[in-house]
Amino acid sequence: MILTRCAPLALVLALVPAAQAAHAGQAAVDVGEGKKLFQGMCGRCHGIDGTGDEGPNLARPTLTRATDDESLRAIIRDGIADRGMPRVRRMTDTELDQLVAYVRSLGRSPTATSTGNAQRGGEIYTRLGCASCHIVQGQGGSFGPDLTEIGASRGPSYLRQSFLGPAEMLPQGSSPVPGRGFSEYLPVHVVTSDGREVRGIRINEDPFTIQLRDTNNRFHSFRKSDLKQFDKEFGKSLMPSFRGRLSDAENEDLVAYLASLRGAK
Amino acid sequence: MRATVLVLIALSGVTALAQVPYSRIAAADKTPADWLTYSGTYQSQRYSPLTQITRQNVAQLKPFWIYQVRRTGIVETSPIVSDGVMYITEPPSTVTALDVRTGRPLWTWTPAIPPDVRVIGSPPVNRGVAILDETVFVGTVHGHLVALDAKSGAVRWDTIVDDNTLGYYMTCAPLALDGKIIIGVSGAEAGIRGFLDAYDPKTGKRLWRSFTIPGPGEPGFGTWGGDSWKTGGGSSWLTGSYDPELNLLYWGTGNPGPDWNGDVRPGDNLYTCSLIAMNPDDGRIKWHFQFTPHDVHDWDSNEIPILFDATINGRARKLVAMANRNAFYYVLDRETGEFLVGTPYAKQTWAAGLDAKGRPRLLPGTDPSTEGTLVFPNIQGASNWPSPSYSPQTKLFYQPAREMGTYFFKGESKYTPGDPFVAGGGRAVNGDDAWGAVRALDATTGRMKWEFKLLTPPWSGLLSTAGGLVFGGTEEGNFFALDADTGKPLWDLQLGSAVKANPISFGVDGKQYVAIAAGYSLYVFGLP
Repeated sequence: MILTRCAPLALVLALVPAAQAAHAGQAAVDVGEGKKLFQGMCGRCHGIDGTGDEGPNLARPTLTRATDDESLRAIIRDGIADRGMPRVRRMTDTELDQLVAYVRSLGRSPTATSTGNAQRGGEIYTRLGCASCHIVQGQGGSFGPDLTEIGASRGPSYLRQSFLGPAEMLPQGSSPVPGRGFSEYLPVHVVTSDGREVRGIRINEDPFTIQLRDTNNRFHSFRKSDLKQFDKEFGKSLMPSFRGRLSDAENEDLVAYLASLRGAK
Repeated sequence: MRATVLVLIALSGVTALAQVPYSRIAAADKTPADWLTYSGTYQSQRYSPLTQITRQNVAQLKPFWIYQVRRTGIVETSPIVSDGVMYITEPPSTVTALDVRTGRPLWTWTPAIPPDVRVIGSPPVNRGVAILDETVFVGTVHGHLVALDAKSGAVRWDTIVDDNTLGYYMTCAPLALDGKIIIGVSGAEAGIRGFLDAYDPKTGKRLWRSFTIPGPGEPGFGTWGGDSWKTGGGSSWLTGSYDPELNLLYWGTGNPGPDWNGDVRPGDNLYTCSLIAMNPDDGRIKWHFQFTPHDVHDWDSNEIPILFDATINGRARKLVAMANRNAFYYVLDRETGEFLVGTPYAKQTWAAGLDAKGRPRLLPGTDPSTEGTLVFPNIQGASNWPSPSYSPQTKLFYQPAREMGTYFFKGESKYTPGDPFVAGGGRAVNGDDAWGAVRALDATTGRMKWEFKLLTPPWSGLLSTAGGLVFGGTEEGNFFALDADTGKPLWDLQLGSAVKANPISFGVDGKQYVAIAAGYSLYVFGLP
């Protein structure tokens, strides 16, 4: 039946619930049972694999409403009324532990087993000028994605692909803007009715308007009805491909560096 | 617009003894300054005969007032307006009365909902109230039907419809008929046995219960293998329609339980995913039409059935039309249930078409599977609860259409009372790979006359008006007006949050207004 919207993207400040009785440090939690519970209780809104449907994507390294296991447990136990997340039913402590463990396993890449050297990778990162467009630990340009936590959410193959062939793998729906499942950093090209041409990345969009940042990182906002031309350039990226510009060993070093970026120290 | 007519209507309403007698709801199209039932009229056309806001002046619309709900959750309310008061619901089951001139609250009522309330299958929302005589009726998420005094919000009676610990709950607006309140239930995702109920508006005593899943010895019982009928689902979670002349009530039914694994319920699973026509005096089913026999994709058929009359193949007919969640648009004879027209109105990959009786010819390989099967439309369907609209002026059926696919997964599910009973799930194909549209269909053929594209599959219903307009909303927060003849956008405004509600129109002091909820606000717009 229904399953209308469960919860819109829930990226707000974290809940800080009162800490519950201790249940840490107990016997190993059965993540497989958590997966089964998840599919029965949660999959309807969050997608059967937790990557989001009408409810938000949970396959992310950081859940902003559930920064620790206690807060995640409280959300599963009580729901989030103001986002439309129901309390599905009363769970046992064991079930809650299993669900927490399973949800935590989503969106966490195992510590990278890259063959590269992260320190050399960091030097390559600097040499290539990646910081002109990317922020790490607060430093760098803001045109492209912030990479401070990228190693916590993405595995080595994704990271390798992201600089060898970025156009083939634009990130999708990991941010509340432009929204659930949408391609982020999508190149757009517009020509206004008075002939002005702007190329940039889509920041947000609705049926009537488009917001973008041009290659100089300046915001533009247009009503679509004022545009002579409006193209969303799927399959392209404004990030250059580094395919063929580095040796295989250097590629792996860069992967190792990116994989080492796992959030604030 | 005839301002004087509106003023007279408003005044006559105030002086009436019973505030909203049945006769007034039955003739709701004659008093367009009020909005007396969920979809505007018993025909559920969600059409306003008001003509003051037109194609020419709609671009001047301005906020009249804005009310911000006091409760948290998703606001899916469709207001009722009568005699200077607007009745809305706030999530999950609060009723609030507002002064229609200012938006100032007159009273608000919130039930005591137990912390372990079971709302399985949807967010805890409410879509509106019904009004009859001097009483307002609301269904709650903990399974109660409550009658409130329209003037004060005081409880007249409070009846338990069914046991919430087993997963029965309510989100839809009741339907007020002559001497009875009809209410449908949610809960198929918990394996309920669905039904439709009628209650005495004065006492709250149940007048009849009509199960949507037949029991032993009843027609259709043989369409369920074993004991599967006991947990067969078939909720009735959206408000139906009524033909006073035929004295027939039309109500859509939901998916069979469990949703995505049909192995445990062999057969067509009547009357799930059907439209049923029943006599509202006793709840007896006169005819039924099943859109999706043995559904395994969660394509409920609770969508709003719109009643209209037209000539088909040279014959004048009384018709009922539904843009089904399964992506087909259907037209049936509403006296007999005879299938007349069925054609896709959105992308679908599950059926080769419909046979002469309207039964789908299934395509192989479209059932949910352990590895996931990509099928269009998606789990939430090409349509859902957001209301369509029919304009008698244009003879077009306006549908908020959802273009989206899902990978459907088949799982196992053991029935445990009050627990989810779904046996699978889905992985959505969303973002840039999904979209939506407002589609104008020729109501008698389903052929598309125009469409207005939306970025995202919509959760906003539509309103058409005699001013030649269609109002709707978007997931991105736009509220807009289209030319009802051409689909050309004439006005839009960013409301600041997704529109997940149905628009209505009403009149105050001779002026026409349009109301829509978005985010935590209810907006009312009018001309300066």
